[in-house]
Amino acid sequence: MYKSERKTIVNVLSLYLSSTLLLIATLFTSYYFYKQEQQTQQEKDILHKYSLELEDALANIYVDGKNRYKYPRFQNFKSAIYDIDNNLIFSTLSINPKQLHKSFFIEDNNAYLRSSLKPYYLGAAFILIEKKKTASNILDELVPLALFIIFITIITSFFLVKLVLKPIRDNLRLLDNFIKDTTHELNTPITTILANIETLHDNECSPKMLKKLQRIKIASFSIANIYQDLVYILLNHKTPIKNENLNLSDILNERIQYFVNFAKNKKIILQQDITPNIYFTADKQKIERLLDNILSNAVKYTKSNTTIKIKLTHSSLSILDQGKGMSKDEIEKIFERYTRFDKTQGGFGIGYNIIKSITDEYKIKIEIKSQVNIGTEVILIW
Amino acid sequence: MVKYLLIFSLLSSFLYSGDFRSNCLTCHVNDFQLQMFMKKYTLKYSSEKKIKKAIYSYLKNPKYKDSVLPFGFLNRFGIKNKSQLPDEEIKKMIDIYYDKYNIKSRIY
Repeated sequence: MYKSERKTIVNVLSLYLSSTLLLIATLFTSYYFYKQEQQTQQEKDILHKYSLELEDALANIYVDGKNRYKYPRFQNFKSAIYDIDNNLIFSTLSINPKQLHKSFFIEDNNAYLRSSLKPYYLGAAFILIEKKKTASNILDELVPLALFIIFITIITSFFLVKLVLKPIRDNLRLLDNFIKDTTHELNTPITTILANIETLHDNECSPKMLKKLQRIKIASFSIANIYQDLVYILLNHKTPIKNENLNLSDILNERIQYFVNFAKNKKIILQQDITPNIYFTADKQKIERLLDNILSNAVKYTKSNTTIKIKLTHSSLSILDQGKGMSKDEIEKIFERYTRFDKTQGGFGIGYNIIKSITDEYKIKIEIKSQVNIGTEVILIW
Repeated sequence: MVKYLLIFSLLSSFLYSGDFRSNCLTCHVNDFQLQMFMKKYTLKYSSEKKIKKAIYSYLKNPKYKDSVLPFGFLNRFGIKNKSQLPDEEIKKMIDIYYDKYNIKSRIY
């Protein structure tokens, strides 16, 4: 799975999941509040029934022989009566509630209902009924159901995203296979062309023919370069890595020579400031790929009659061109495979992808400073 | 000190109850009657403050519409005359009446 593909799957999946989970959360929260309201209503109904019982009992209360009134007591609930000025007349409540102004409230795990009374039996203008709060089991039912639905959603969304992305994946695979086949078929002709050009000597041809031959040589080098990139991409991780202490200065000089003809053709001056004998431990082939790609991009995208400055120090390599430059958005996307901003130039859009994979492997920091129509500077720091 | 306070309170309650007897019980001889009045007032006015206010208002200016007694009772006995007692004395008598006959203290 490609990095960009994985990123797309993660993005789509997170977007789909977050919106679905938000919907589920909204539904469950609404259901939770609905159930809670229903439970509260049930509680109120029970308390109201009790208040009617108490009202009835208060209405039928009689004075006893000692001129006293026995306050009615019930098994299911406790109660209190208050006068019209909210002064307590009599109470069998377990606590002294503080939210008397509310018609229904929960306090100390008890549910309370306040109701008015008229006429004022025993002077009671308000009665307060207390009962143990019914234990809420809404969450007990809801949480396992929610977890189950979330689990199912995650599974289905994963398959859904894979299904949606299948055509894109198939296309990428097709492109990969095409490159693989092309690469395989390119190997022999390129080697033959390059080998034969090398055998031709300058004195064997007329100047006009020599110029044509030079163009063929540049074109062949370009194809060879692309071929090397494709081989790197396709065979990466399959070839043994041979890390050794490389003379980076020598390799850089060698790679610059490789692009001299190409640069000369575009009348580009390659201004070099290379500190000699800079060593770096890495796989030679990979370092060549890294340098070739940076140089190739610089030469390819810079304008004619300009200068490319190449500077190698003990801890950095900077290649500054005077090309088209890139916008901030383009810089952000540059390392994605098959990203190409200028379709007028040849290539597959894999150069920066290769650069990134090699710099990541050797923990080389890569900085790209670019301004549109001014130029680009690629800096490698280690 | 406590002893003096106790004697003072007992003496004052005795004196007050003496006033209550002379001011109220000369007419309302029946204890049951006073209990019934209090029950009626409690049923209509609920709190101590409102009951006292209603009794005071009635004693100062007795009207049929303000009476808590049933029609048959009023028809037979009529309403009482306006109290000639000074305001302070009326209020004291009402306080004694409420303390002695209020329903709140009789609930158990």
